[in-house]
Amino acid sequence: MKVSLQSLARHVDLAGVTADRVAEVLPMLGLEVESVTTFGLAPLPQVVVGEIKSFERHPKADRLSVCLVDVGDGAPRQIVCGAKNFRAGDRVPVALPGTVMPGGFEIKVSKLRDVDSAGMMCSSEELGLGKGEDGLLILTPRAPAVGTPLNALYGPTDTVLEISVTPNRGDCLGLRGVARELAAALGRPLLPLVLATPAGSQPSGGPRQVRLSSEACPHYTLRAFRGVKVGPSPDWMRRDLEAAGLRPINNVVDVTNWVMLELGQPLHAFDAASVKGAVEVRPAHDGETLELLDGRKVPLDGTVCVIADETRALVLAGVMGGAGSGVSDATTEVLLESAWFRPADVRRAARRLGVSTDSSHRFARDVDPAGVELASRLAADLLVRLAGAEPVGPAVTAGRPPRADVTVDLPAGFVAAKVGAPVADADVSAALTRLGFTIEATASGLSVTVPSFRSDVTRPIDLVEEFVRVHGTDNVPVGRPAAPVPGDEDAPSAAFAREVAARLIGAGFMECCHYSMRDAAELSRTLGAGRAAALALDNPLTAEQTHLRASLLPGLAGALALNASVHADLRAVFEVGVVFRPQPDGQVREHLAVSFAALADPVTRSWKSREPWDALRMKRLVLDVAALAGASQVRLSFGAADGGLWQAGHASALLDRARSLDGAAGVLDLRWTRSLGLRGPVVAGEALIPRSALAEGRRTPRFEAFSSFPPVTRDVSVVVPEAVPAAEVESRVRQAAAKAAGKEFALEAVTCFDVFSGGKLAAGSRALAFEMRWRHASRTLTEEEAAKALEAVMTALEKGAGWTVQR
Amino acid sequence: MQQQLASIVDAARQDSVAVTTRAEMEAFKARVVGPNGSLTQVMKGLGALSKEERPVVGRLLNEAKREIEELLAALLAKVEDAEIADALGAPTDPSLPSPEVPAGSAHPLSRTRERILASFRKLGLTVAEGPEVETEWHCFDALNTPADHPARDMQDTLYLPAAFRSADAPRKGAESVLLRTHTSSVQVRTMLSRKPPFRIVAPGRCFRRDAVDATHSANFHQVEGLWIDRQVTLADLRGVLDFFVKETFGPDAEIRLRPSFFPFTEPSFEMDLRSPNLGRLSGRWLEIMGCGLVDPKVLELCGLDPKVWSGLAFGLGLERIAMLVHGIDDIRHFYANDARFLRQFA
Repeated sequence: MKVSLQSLARHVDLAGVTADRVAEVLPMLGLEVESVTTFGLAPLPQVVVGEIKSFERHPKADRLSVCLVDVGDGAPRQIVCGAKNFRAGDRVPVALPGTVMPGGFEIKVSKLRDVDSAGMMCSSEELGLGKGEDGLLILTPRAPAVGTPLNALYGPTDTVLEISVTPNRGDCLGLRGVARELAAALGRPLLPLVLATPAGSQPSGGPRQVRLSSEACPHYTLRAFRGVKVGPSPDWMRRDLEAAGLRPINNVVDVTNWVMLELGQPLHAFDAASVKGAVEVRPAHDGETLELLDGRKVPLDGTVCVIADETRALVLAGVMGGAGSGVSDATTEVLLESAWFRPADVRRAARRLGVSTDSSHRFARDVDPAGVELASRLAADLLVRLAGAEPVGPAVTAGRPPRADVTVDLPAGFVAAKVGAPVADADVSAALTRLGFTIEATASGLSVTVPSFRSDVTRPIDLVEEFVRVHGTDNVPVGRPAAPVPGDEDAPSAAFAREVAARLIGAGFMECCHYSMRDAAELSRTLGAGRAAALALDNPLTAEQTHLRASLLPGLAGALALNASVHADLRAVFEVGVVFRPQPDGQVREHLAVSFAALADPVTRSWKSREPWDALRMKRLVLDVAALAGASQVRLSFGAADGGLWQAGHASALLDRARSLDGAAGVLDLRWTRSLGLRGPVVAGEALIPRSALAEGRRTPRFEAFSSFPPVTRDVSVVVPEAVPAAEVESRVRQAAAKAAGKEFALEAVTCFDVFSGGKLAAGSRALAFEMRWRHASRTLTEEEAAKALEAVMTALEKGAGWTVQR
Repeated sequence: MQQQLASIVDAARQDSVAVTTRAEMEAFKARVVGPNGSLTQVMKGLGALSKEERPVVGRLLNEAKREIEELLAALLAKVEDAEIADALGAPTDPSLPSPEVPAGSAHPLSRTRERILASFRKLGLTVAEGPEVETEWHCFDALNTPADHPARDMQDTLYLPAAFRSADAPRKGAESVLLRTHTSSVQVRTMLSRKPPFRIVAPGRCFRRDAVDATHSANFHQVEGLWIDRQVTLADLRGVLDFFVKETFGPDAEIRLRPSFFPFTEPSFEMDLRSPNLGRLSGRWLEIMGCGLVDPKVLELCGLDPKVWSGLAFGLGLERIAMLVHGIDDIRHFYANDARFLRQFA
């Protein structure tokens, strides 16, 4: 809202208070100042009224004129000018050399295309008076004396503050509300509002019948006037409106707007001749349409409230007037509406129309019901004074104000307890009194009567805020926080995310951060079109951000491609973040995803070559991530990853028998990564962990003793059909080796150290060789024990699994 | 005899020069001290000597043996050196660069987050988390946000279709499910699930239906704090925020609380920061976060008795803090993932 200091001074004495001071005080009351601008003519002592005696075309420029201008200081001076809108004898503002214009430009004696020019004749815009007519500001009609300083023709410069008002402070959408705040902060009184039109009204039935039949409007008043002379408003009113950013229209409309700016109560003026019979405030009829002031024809229904006459809807209540019932130049009889509309209904109606008007903005923020009559009286005063209007009886009132002043009991010591420092009752009373509240001491504390314009203050805690605002937040002491609550820890998922990031950073990966909303094509690639549909948003803003992400890998592949294209030498990236996965039961579960991707080949040339990064490196990292997540390694295995983001045959999916996590590692689909502009293969890994899997705190490990005796190792080589996964063979070997150790000693490790096919082996089969390591807790194992164990393993593999053991 | 021994040692010494490998060394050793070695032969002849000669020759023999052993030790060292050189290859130029991929780095938002969390942890605020997809109740109703509040508008908030069922935020009745607009929903979940007193800080991703530009992002990150105890005061709020700001922006930074409005706090404030060390923003009051005392209505909605419990809450934007701390002028940098940006904060 734009607040003019000159207008504000009607309500609070601002003598000696600078604009800067006001701009400092208001924010500390909760009224944020977004900008401070000057309004009207800035002090420009060297800009004077001049008369153009004569002019001729510039010898070298068709568009310029060479003028002789009298500024009352002797012989006329020569000034070159580009404007066209003047005649000889016109009086115009002349900036004499030495003037610094509002834009910062200094006027000097100069030559324009070789012709001397001693000053500048000014346009409205150049003087900072806003965009006027094209060309010079012609002062001739005002007949000022030549040589008069221009400032003498204009009032003092005003300052306009653009303030933003929080939604709870509808009372500050009028100058008087802002003035009340300022008065409280400055310790000055709020000046009284003097009204000539008496208070009081008559029930509906006077000059116009008013019927209320909508819950959206509990209180409606109407005043009738005749003999109204519609015409332009006086300068002072036009100035005030323009300072507030409104366009003057005619004296009647301007009065309603001016009063709204003044008191925050929107008003509406009807041309009484176009209102047929009784006025009714009612829900719109289904199928009814209304042509609004802005020319739009809007269809209505029972959810919106209208002001209607006996034939049609006239106004969308509290939002915007209709085209056919407003005040025009021909109007002589006026009906002035002042009413209270329920905020939620106005908000809904305005949203439906996609407009926010000065009226709807205020009604939506709960105007003061007591202001309905006040505003109507002030407007009546002005219509009488400025438009020669003659009131037809007192106001007609229907319904009653929906709320009145409220009384809040403030227990003794409550404010101090919330502030955290001693506060004297007298200080509380003083602060609240300055805001217009009435205080009475009671046995248990204070009884505070809050006027109806402050609907946001209903509880003791609200009074604490009021006190602190006026008292000053800087007067709240800086407390020393009490000692922490012992035993609190970060959420396990947060601790995990931190650890896993450190692990990947150490492995050479750079952390990235991508948007959570992705496009449909990416989701289809990740999950398949069917499952992707489960992650679509209801109201996406753009076509690129229509779905929730199901994997971080597309983002990471994109980051690698971007950095390759700009030669930023980035090989490996990772991201830790939430992804969404549709579950078999139809629910969508959030997973913490740890994803990483790297170009298989180095991004920079090096004097020493290195092996490319491969899928196995990624597999290792996925297992490390799973271990950090607390997954039991014995329950993890890998199977083929199929389709989607992965290159068939070169990626593996992590299978977790505990079902706590999901994952994959390998080469990303090469056609896809090539389409992104990446030539070589991209290797990647991803682990998806449901938050619940990380919910338990970590167990503190207990020490287990280990043997100080040497182990024995034996190798076994198994020939199996190629279709048998290595993990299955390893698992069999492990079982057999553990069983062979029995209770006497223990299996320590099984390691696959060779994979061989071809040679003498039958086609379609391969040999896998494993080393087994056994150890005894309290002695060295004998050759016999080792041989016996090996034999047991071989027998188990041959007889149990039916595989060939190479002996 | 003496001469014979001397010539054996001399011959061995000359012979040893040619030895370079371990095999040659073993052969050499056999030639001199092996069963048929030259020195062994002499030693075998010792028995034939007279009783008088024996100590003299024995002494000479020991002398020769010692020399040969020294020779062998030197040879072993030489051979081992050669073997090590062979194993390691030529000496390297220590000034050559390593071909390995350098360590990665944390994203500037992560670094800023950890820095912020570390300062709050000193005050005992530990991390709490919650789902990114939330129910309308947790995101708005429980935070005292009226049903027709503009924040709930389809224009401003991203909603999920009616058929969407979240395993992490099950809906009650016909309420909507949405992408959380703030991490204040974590405050709600914490109040509902934990017994006070507690102090938490909730970092996380939030979403608004905003067109992306230099200062707006479709998703962004917040860090929310909540401190519930008996008798939490405005002085506590100032104390916590003052501590945080001095930790993050240095001891010269100052704060002010500017009255404002949020449905979930009363009183509510915007906290402004002023610091002499913020480049071109130095010395100006900058809006950093919203804060206040938890509104009694919120406590009630979350099952805490406002007569017993009170609280302070605050929420700040991670991107905004990172932009201030590092002088970053465009929020889109955080999501573009250009390494030339990311590396600057490593």
